Amino acid sequence: MKKSLLNSILLLILFPFLIISCTDPYVLRTDNYEEAVVIEATITNELKKQEIKVSKTYKFEENGPTLIDDAVVNVTDSDGTVFEFEYNSGKYVSVNPFQAETGKQYKLLVITDNGKSYTSNNETLTTVNPIQDVVPTVTFKDGIRGVAMNVKSFDPTSSSKYYRFEYEETYKIIAPKWVSVKAVVTYTPPTNPIGTIDLIPRTTEARVCFSSDKSNNLLLTSTNNLNEDRVNFPVRFIKSNDYTIANRYSILVRQYIQNLASYTFYTTLKEISGSGSILSQNQPGFFSGNIKCVENTNEKVIGFFDVASVSSKRIFFNYNEVFPNEALPKYPYKCDINPETPQENVFKFCFSPFDFTCQGYTVLSLLASETYVYYDFYNDSYELYPTPCGDCTSFSSNIIPSFWID
Amino acid sequence: MQKIQILIAFLFFSFTINAQENSEKISVNFKDATIKTVVETIEKNTNYKFFFIEDWLVANDKLFSGNYTNTTINTILDDVLSTSELNYFIDKNKVILTNNSVIYNKLPDNYFGDTLKNTVTNNKIEIEKPIFYKQFDTISKNKKSNDKIVFIGKQTLKSDKKTFILSGFIKNSKTNEPLSNVFIKVQNKATNTTTNDSGFYTIELSSGVNFLETSYVNHKKSSRKVILYQDGTLDINLEENNNVLDEVVIDGKKNEKVKSAVSGVITIDIEGIKNIPLILGERDIFKVAATLPGIKTTGEGSAGYNVRGGKEDQNLILLDDGVIYNPAHFFGFFSAVNPYTTKSATIYKGSIPAEYGGRLSSVFDITSKNGNLTKFSGEGGIGPVTSNLALSTPIIKDKSSLLVGARGTYSGWILRSLKEETLKKSKASFYDGIIKYNHKFNAKNILETTAYLSNDLFSISSDSIYNYSNRMLSLKYEHTFNEKNKGAIVFTNSEYKFNIDYDNDTDNLKSFDFGYKINETQAILKLNYTFSEKHKFTYGISSKLYGINPGFLEAKNAISSIKPIDIEKERGLESAVFISYNFKVNKKLLLDFGIRYSNFSALGKSSQRIYQENVPLNDASVVEIKNYNNNEVIQSYGGFEPRIAARYFLGKDFSVKLGYDKTYQYIHLLSSNTTQAPTDTWKLSDLNVKPQSGQQFSLGFFKNLLDKDLEFSIEGYYKKSENFLDYKVAAQLLLNENIETELLQGEGKAYGIEFLIKKNSGRLNGWLGYTYSRTFIKLDSEFSDEKVNNGNYFPSNFDKPHDVSLVLNYRFTKRYSMSSNFIYQTGRPITYPIGSYQYGNAQYTLYSDRNQFRIPDYYRLDIGFNVEGNHKLKKLAHGFWNISIYNVLGRNNPYSIYFVTDDGKIKAFKTSIFSIPVPTITYNFKF
Repeated sequence: MKKSLLNSILLLILFPFLIISCTDPYVLRTDNYEEAVVIEATITNELKKQEIKVSKTYKFEENGPTLIDDAVVNVTDSDGTVFEFEYNSGKYVSVNPFQAETGKQYKLLVITDNGKSYTSNNETLTTVNPIQDVVPTVTFKDGIRGVAMNVKSFDPTSSSKYYRFEYEETYKIIAPKWVSVKAVVTYTPPTNPIGTIDLIPRTTEARVCFSSDKSNNLLLTSTNNLNEDRVNFPVRFIKSNDYTIANRYSILVRQYIQNLASYTFYTTLKEISGSGSILSQNQPGFFSGNIKCVENTNEKVIGFFDVASVSSKRIFFNYNEVFPNEALPKYPYKCDINPETPQENVFKFCFSPFDFTCQGYTVLSLLASETYVYYDFYNDSYELYPTPCGDCTSFSSNIIPSFWID
Repeated sequence: MQKIQILIAFLFFSFTINAQENSEKISVNFKDATIKTVVETIEKNTNYKFFFIEDWLVANDKLFSGNYTNTTINTILDDVLSTSELNYFIDKNKVILTNNSVIYNKLPDNYFGDTLKNTVTNNKIEIEKPIFYKQFDTISKNKKSNDKIVFIGKQTLKSDKKTFILSGFIKNSKTNEPLSNVFIKVQNKATNTTTNDSGFYTIELSSGVNFLETSYVNHKKSSRKVILYQDGTLDINLEENNNVLDEVVIDGKKNEKVKSAVSGVITIDIEGIKNIPLILGERDIFKVAATLPGIKTTGEGSAGYNVRGGKEDQNLILLDDGVIYNPAHFFGFFSAVNPYTTKSATIYKGSIPAEYGGRLSSVFDITSKNGNLTKFSGEGGIGPVTSNLALSTPIIKDKSSLLVGARGTYSGWILRSLKEETLKKSKASFYDGIIKYNHKFNAKNILETTAYLSNDLFSISSDSIYNYSNRMLSLKYEHTFNEKNKGAIVFTNSEYKFNIDYDNDTDNLKSFDFGYKINETQAILKLNYTFSEKHKFTYGISSKLYGINPGFLEAKNAISSIKPIDIEKERGLESAVFISYNFKVNKKLLLDFGIRYSNFSALGKSSQRIYQENVPLNDASVVEIKNYNNNEVIQSYGGFEPRIAARYFLGKDFSVKLGYDKTYQYIHLLSSNTTQAPTDTWKLSDLNVKPQSGQQFSLGFFKNLLDKDLEFSIEGYYKKSENFLDYKVAAQLLLNENIETELLQGEGKAYGIEFLIKKNSGRLNGWLGYTYSRTFIKLDSEFSDEKVNNGNYFPSNFDKPHDVSLVLNYRFTKRYSMSSNFIYQTGRPITYPIGSYQYGNAQYTLYSDRNQFRIPDYYRLDIGFNVEGNHKLKKLAHGFWNISIYNVLGRNNPYSIYFVTDDGKIKAFKTSIFSIPVPTITYNFKF
């Protein structure tokens, strides 16, 4: 009693101090919203249908950008060749495949439906410098053991210098509680029991699946401070207990050689979007790339027209090749029966209102809703597991990627 | 006093007696004899009888030796008394000794007005009207009895000088502190002077009776009748006015504002600010400064000050001549300068004297009090969060004293003792301490030395502890060579450092230790030469050595992936020579010419990048990396800094002032966008970072009304600056080895007009200030990543066009008074997120042009109620209660608005400080 009184007295004394500072979430004023054109264009030296995205900025309360689908988009090279683009499901795709060539200058032109035109500076293709290798390396990051995918590149002419990477990883998933049959519930209401369970053989692949993820952050590095133009850059780090690498893993790394201006643009973009650590509070502000509005040079245009040499490299590895003789990472879902709590997985299939152990209705609804998947039936009971344990298509895809090599 | 009057009466009677030739011959010998012994010996050996007051002889303690045979008594007395202030008069066998005065045996010819010029000119020596006691008597009769009569020097029959120099110290009678800026004038004459920083004054007076009057804020007026026969000294102790409540004095020099040549100068007297409503019970010199036109803070609780559109780093903040880099506690809620040990602060926002340099916008010259030379005394305050104590004691009575001030918070232990887990972990504590020792060897040699330390510790998020501290040492030796030449030599050393101790509980590997440190050592030699009242000179040299450790980062866990960083040390030497000339052309026109030449050399050991010319500084444009040896000059910069000020009287108490100054600054504060924070770092100019420079033109009109009780001023200024630092979008300032690649050096312009009406005394007093000012910057380049807002001028972070402050005090009785403080400011500019966009596979935030928007306007009203302790003479301590409510209106003024991108979503946060009224009660005491 005395103590709490003392505490409240102290609180009272301290009261002014406690309210010194308060940080409240602040409702962003959306009336400040300013519409601006966002152009994302990277033309590479790959012979393909090149892609350009044109969108608009959007308000904070909106979920995503408004795409501009009626603009005129083309790229002109210094020979006067015009490469036309046409809108196709969210992107402008070049009508014909083409590739950026060394020694030529390229310029982007976008004309929106309101008649405004946006042009880029003339850009030339950067040094062509293929990825030497991508090497999975066991390492520690923040004290956690894992594997880093290190990209290795080397430019003896030291003219590449600025690198941007993208990756797409694909990994094999094997459902641990897969069985060749699938439980199908048929409801026949007036009867008792009200439904029946039939086990029918699976007709589609549900045991082995493949998931893919794209890099979503900007991966940038520069060799400018180094003695030679040699890259050994970890594009991706995966913890040793991450299921992603449990079976077989593949990563495709795309390396873009950038020029300083585009590297600066991407670095600024990366830094400004950082949440800001204790040490670094960024100077916010608008920054422009190499695209300007012809009619109004003061108009904000976001984006960079990048003419970059690209090279890619795909690697595959199995868990044991990287972590030999180590236990495989666990499946990301709870697919093991716990002897202490078997009731989580074993359900008695009966419907007696006087027997509290009967869980017939539960079984029917779990299977009918495809929340759980059938694994076994014994002693009048079903052994069920969450659906991903027996059917990987519930969260992944059973299509074998065309590039996949087992 | 009575003795003197008896003597006067006596002298008047004896006056009628004619002196006769004293022909009696005497033979006497003395060896190391005092005057008293001489007198006694003569009395013993002759018929002469001496009349005198014992004290006079004791006071004249010179020893005298001599052999006299058959000499007249006149010869002996002439010899013996020559070195004393005694005169003698012999009437038959009576010898009358007088102190100072000569007893005339006849009235001068012109005594009754009928002048006979030839009698004077014949002597070829000008003889002033001798001073008779009668004359003195008539004066004294008319005056109050407490006026003291002072005799200076010894009257001689033949005096070849019409005027004499009187000098001395003016001190507070209680604390014995010297009082500066005391106004001394001679009644019915145009002569006047003021005391300097050491309380010293000199005044040229005509011989004879002078009626001196002193006036000083919060002190009783005092007057002295000085009868002057020779050059001499007169120390005056001024009694403090107990009734200090009735005045809020910001400008100690009542008429100084109208009279001096420099404009844009504010003197804050610490005593005077005690009635202004307080924040958490702290008197704060900087807070008061910010209520005056031209001085602004970026936000509530911001450590930095923007003076006339200048950046936070452009203020030279001096405590007893030493630089204080961050004079703020707890983000600027409290100033780190202890108000109880502070005597005064002079702020130059324009017309910076040539002796100061190194910062573009202003000088905050803060002087500490000197310790009490006669007795132990103290002063203190007890508030809800902080307590404050200043003690002062003589070391050698009347010669040297020590002043010790300390202040601290007790929030630390309160927080720790709380049960609440979240509060237990947060910390906020600070302390500061000051020790000042002053030693007066004699009137000509004075030594003052100050040691200062402040420390702050706080954690906002429970995992990181911020710690920063200032340390300053200064030593000043003042010497008066003669009446016309004075000098001071000053050594200072200042250090500022901060540290961030980041402890990540969940992931110990992310824990780190970060630190920064700046140190400077300075020597100044400053000399004053008063050629005459009309021509005064100040000149000197100064040199400063900087050392900066721009930062280190160490992981706290050995296996952490945090890469240790240690940025190369920066060093530099800044030197200057300066001279200023104060020329009083005539009664109306006063000119103040100053020129300063400053030079800065960035010194090795260092490695500096050399960039390709005419391209943006970045990693790609590096041509080579050049290494410099220890003390090798990397790059030198320098320039002349003229400082010119002129005043002209347009009428009585109405003056116009013009000023022009140029300044250079070789050290820059790297500060993230919003407000000055303890983690901002200072950077020296080097090969790639040029010094900043500024020019200011100012014009002001000053008028006093109602016997100087009401002051009006209008001041306007236009400023241009070059090469001040700004940052590229997304600049990384900390731990950046190549910081120049993130910096932009831009141009700035600022202009403003400042109005101030001040009422100095009366029941209702205070001031009203209004400023309209704008400040713009331009960051232009031919390269888009070095261009901000398309290279156009845009408002700076602290551009707040309208600024109103009203400070009012109303005295109900001698003991009770009320004060209030109202502030309104336009909200400061901000860079606002104005939308989102998608790029790559991620969502980003689009920001507006830099400083395109403004945060809401700021306004605040504070009210304080003051109760002065009783005026009983015998009491333990004189107390003073202050009850104040900060932010009475409960206005939720945003301190900062910032944005965080989390998972691709932008979130806005607003930090506000004291969004509800905050009551505080403080008890101040003095003994």
